Amino acid sequence: MASGSLPAGIKWWSGGKSPYNVNYGKIMMWYFLVSDSFTFGAFLISYGSTRLGSDYWPDPNHVFNSFPFMGHANLPLAFVSLMTFILIFSSVTMVLAVHEGHKMNRKGVEKYMIMTIIGGLAFLSCQAWEWTHLLTGSHSVLVDGKVEHWATTITKNPFGPMVEHAGQLVATPGPQLFGGFFFFITGFHGFHVFSGLIINIIMYIKTRLGHFDQRGHYEMVEKAGLYWHFVDLVWVFVFLAFYLI
Amino acid sequence: MSSVASLHESELQHAGHDAQHEHHQQSFLTKYIFSQDHKTIAKQFLITGIIWAIVGALFSVLFRLQLGFPESSFPILEDILGKWAPGGKISPDFYYALVTMHGTILVFFVLTAGLSGTFANFLIPLQIGARDMASPFLNMLSYWFFFIGSIIMATSLFIQTGPASGGWTIYPPLSALSDAALGSVRGMDLWIISMAFFIISQLMGGLNYVSTVLNLRTKGMTMTRMPLTVWSLFFTAILGILSFPVLLSCVVLLFCDRNLGTSFYLSDIIIAGKVLPHEGGSPILFQHLFWFLGHPEVYIVVLPAMGLASEVISVNARKPIFGYVAMISSMLAIVALSLIVWAHHMFVSGMNPFLGAGFILFTLLIAVPSAIKVFNWLTTLWRGNIRFTPAMLFAIGFVSMFISGGLTGIFLGNAALDIQLHDTYFNIAHFHLVMGVAAFFSMFAGLYQWFPKMFGRFMNNTLGYIHFWITMVGAYLIFWPMHYSGLAGMPRRYYDYSNWESFKQFGGMNKFISIVVIIVFITQLMFVFNFFYSIWKGRKVREANPWDATTLEWTTPIRPGHGNWPGELPEVHRWPYDYSKDGKEFISQITPVGEEETGPHH
Amino acid sequence: MSSFEVPSQITIHHEPAPNTKRIWRAFWILSVVTLGELALGLSIYNIHKGPNPSEMMVLFFKGVICILTLAKGYYIAWVFMHMGDESKLFRRSIVVPLLLFIWFIIAFLHDGNAYREARDSNAGEFKVIKNDVPAAVLERGQKD
Ligand code: HEM
Ligand SMILES: [Cu+2]
Repeated sequence: MASGSLPAGIKWWSGGKSPYNVNYGKIMMWYFLVSDSFTFGAFLISYGSTRLGSDYWPDPNHVFNSFPFMGHANLPLAFVSLMTFILIFSSVTMVLAVHEGHKMNRKGVEKYMIMTIIGGLAFLSCQAWEWTHLLTGSHSVLVDGKVEHWATTITKNPFGPMVEHAGQLVATPGPQLFGGFFFFITGFHGFHVFSGLIINIIMYIKTRLGHFDQRGHYEMVEKAGLYWHFVDLVWVFVFLAFYLI
Repeated sequence: MSSVASLHESELQHAGHDAQHEHHQQSFLTKYIFSQDHKTIAKQFLITGIIWAIVGALFSVLFRLQLGFPESSFPILEDILGKWAPGGKISPDFYYALVTMHGTILVFFVLTAGLSGTFANFLIPLQIGARDMASPFLNMLSYWFFFIGSIIMATSLFIQTGPASGGWTIYPPLSALSDAALGSVRGMDLWIISMAFFIISQLMGGLNYVSTVLNLRTKGMTMTRMPLTVWSLFFTAILGILSFPVLLSCVVLLFCDRNLGTSFYLSDIIIAGKVLPHEGGSPILFQHLFWFLGHPEVYIVVLPAMGLASEVISVNARKPIFGYVAMISSMLAIVALSLIVWAHHMFVSGMNPFLGAGFILFTLLIAVPSAIKVFNWLTTLWRGNIRFTPAMLFAIGFVSMFISGGLTGIFLGNAALDIQLHDTYFNIAHFHLVMGVAAFFSMFAGLYQWFPKMFGRFMNNTLGYIHFWITMVGAYLIFWPMHYSGLAGMPRRYYDYSNWESFKQFGGMNKFISIVVIIVFITQLMFVFNFFYSIWKGRKVREANPWDATTLEWTTPIRPGHGNWPGELPEVHRWPYDYSKDGKEFISQITPVGEEETGPHH
Repeated sequence: MSSFEVPSQITIHHEPAPNTKRIWRAFWILSVVTLGELALGLSIYNIHKGPNPSEMMVLFFKGVICILTLAKGYYIAWVFMHMGDESKLFRRSIVVPLLLFIWFIIAFLHDGNAYREARDSNAGEFKVIKNDVPAAVLERGQKD
């Protein structure tokens, strides 16, 4: 793997130049991402803390086990894996766009930007489906001795411990915060995807208008790319925290 | 490479000339309001900060009236405040709103935005030899986000149920439930929204400061030739970038609890006999998240103060700062440690005591770099040829306050002692001395020192001396006695202590403190008068370098335009602390090292 | 507005990478690792479903998944975000602050766990409060 090091023989820290040989815009973007990872980190760690602080936590495999058009088939992890692949693939097309940008190939950048935008849209659609599915689902729950039908919302969770009721196993209400954290964190991530999508669309338009060719470099695309990869990076951890463990 | 570099050189020169020409054609709007000049933005932060400081201090006068004179009533208060002071006596709800707003305003708006916003913007480009910030546009936005946040917070003062009233630390459940307090009805929402804008402003500012310091240092300005002011502001920005986002997470979750029915911080609560549906959250989680920012925040306040004091002390003692590298490394140590000690604020919150032991260890470690800095300031002063200007007096005052307040920190850092001392007036005394007063002193020092650069005039010295002595003596008279009442267990945040037999003995002391508060407050108004009067009527600066200082800002014209240096950017040849060297009073950073010059050369 | 642009301070442009082989390799690695994670995730599911789930085994699998996720993060940052091409100090200035997460995670998770233990050890008292609200509290509520 090419490991970056700066050309020797230059005093990089002596002033008058960037010590990292990096434009200030990119430095800002990177440090912004560090900062944003603390926002996300705080959310995910709070989720972990709450989960360890609860007596009972539902197994995610029970909650997230459906797939569009598959009816009631029990397919744990399948749909979210699809979402993960979509996002990883859109990351690949993004980095390819950046690569074409380095070569000053406008047509190439356009092609890959379009693919990235489609990937982003696909991801958001999947998320919309997943949310709708949870919010409109119906699961029997034993509440005060009566069986009710609940969906998973930010304040309700129908996946609590099982108890016997009238000769049958029925779930009791689960931890409220399951939905609270799930919708909040995936929503916050989705908001990042959405804003990344807007940025990418702007980049696409600017590419088409030839702005970057005039400028002589595609650094803006690179910065948008950093943001987009970050969104992917965060998803890897959301995937870990909510679905895998 | 060289061709690229020289291209920049000419670009820069060109830019400098342009800046001078354009100077005359700007409209009022672009020059003073939506300015992208870092110097103007600094003044915007400063003046907004001053306005907030007056408001915040006025609030403290109001609640001190209640604390000092719990039995009296002041009819004029009812005329001004209406229903908040029925019969001329501040109502309990309003008392809590005042305390909360006092803390919020002073910690965030004055000592964070007002202090580092002002000096980072003003000093970083000038002292590293840059024409402006890396991104002047983001810099402008940073101010305007702060402005919007300010307006929202100010609005919350006027709504019917009043502003947030759960303390500046806004602990839930008090802050999360609108039934819990008047301020939690709507004021708390506005507090959160305002703070969200503030955090964004801080991030934009911080990212800008960091990339400016990294990328825009002029030729020859290596990192170890930067003045300590720049170092401290650089570290402050890093702390802000790493900790403010966590406050954002923290308050956003609180916002959901308040408005969407989630229970991140809530569980098992009964209000007025009604069991609330919230279940499963933990208020301790909130405290962890809050103090993850909260503790670094206190260093965000005090680091710039340290930097300003270091610079002012060295210039006015006519001596190189003692232990330049030690100063930087201790600041670095403080940055690192301050990010891992947050839970020392939570020893008695129900946090796990074994975990607390870890936090005690880290907390007490902070005393080491803090002590290094103190000794370095004292050694710099030692046998210096001291010029007792108002700036210097305030810088020395800073050191004094920092010592007095820092020592009590070591008491508080021990969980065993903190069980007695937590949330008492001992705590109040600790953080007001070490953070509140100390940071203000440094800010005053910085203002007296750099006022000539900001406005091309001097502030009035006599008023400056009066300001210093009354504030210095007053601050100790206000906060020193609080140690005793705190040790006796007098809790903070009570509306009226006269109902407790054990606190009656402090009635006279409370009255005394309140009287001093009023005197000190009036003295600060005098400072504000001096400030604004001097902007227009002060003695004019006639020479470019009135303090005989070595740093780059004094190589600019007396009133630099946008772009700072009319011609080429200066080149730097030495560190900023060559005072009293080789028989010379001072040697500017732009003077090349002479043949005969004695070492060491930095 | 200002009439000059603050210079961008690039002194040397990065050489564009010769080809996209590296990118595709990273993509395949990411995919395989994700599939591995899925396999482990599903085995956790099956362990839970089985007759006597071994908590140790589950914990072990979860640990492996966490390490695999970190590896994914590394590839995304190093290859896709070109972090591997940046200078060493720049890389460190980004990675070192992230080490803060170690203590951040330990402290929060430890305390969350301790919260549950403390609560459960007082479980009896807790129930009383929840199920029948003390009469005094109720009375005050009605008066208000
Ligand atoms: C020698 C180093 C220090 C140590 C060991 C220390 C320790 C502590 C401890 C343990 C507390 C919690 C007290 C309690 O709530 O019971 C505390 C409170 C506080 N400290 Fe320090 N401190 C130190 C220096 C500082 C500095 C330099 C600042 C600010 C610049 C500062 C600002 C504060 C503030 C604002 C609070 C109170 C927050 C509140 O409860 O409202 N401390 N300190
Ligand atoms: Cu602290």
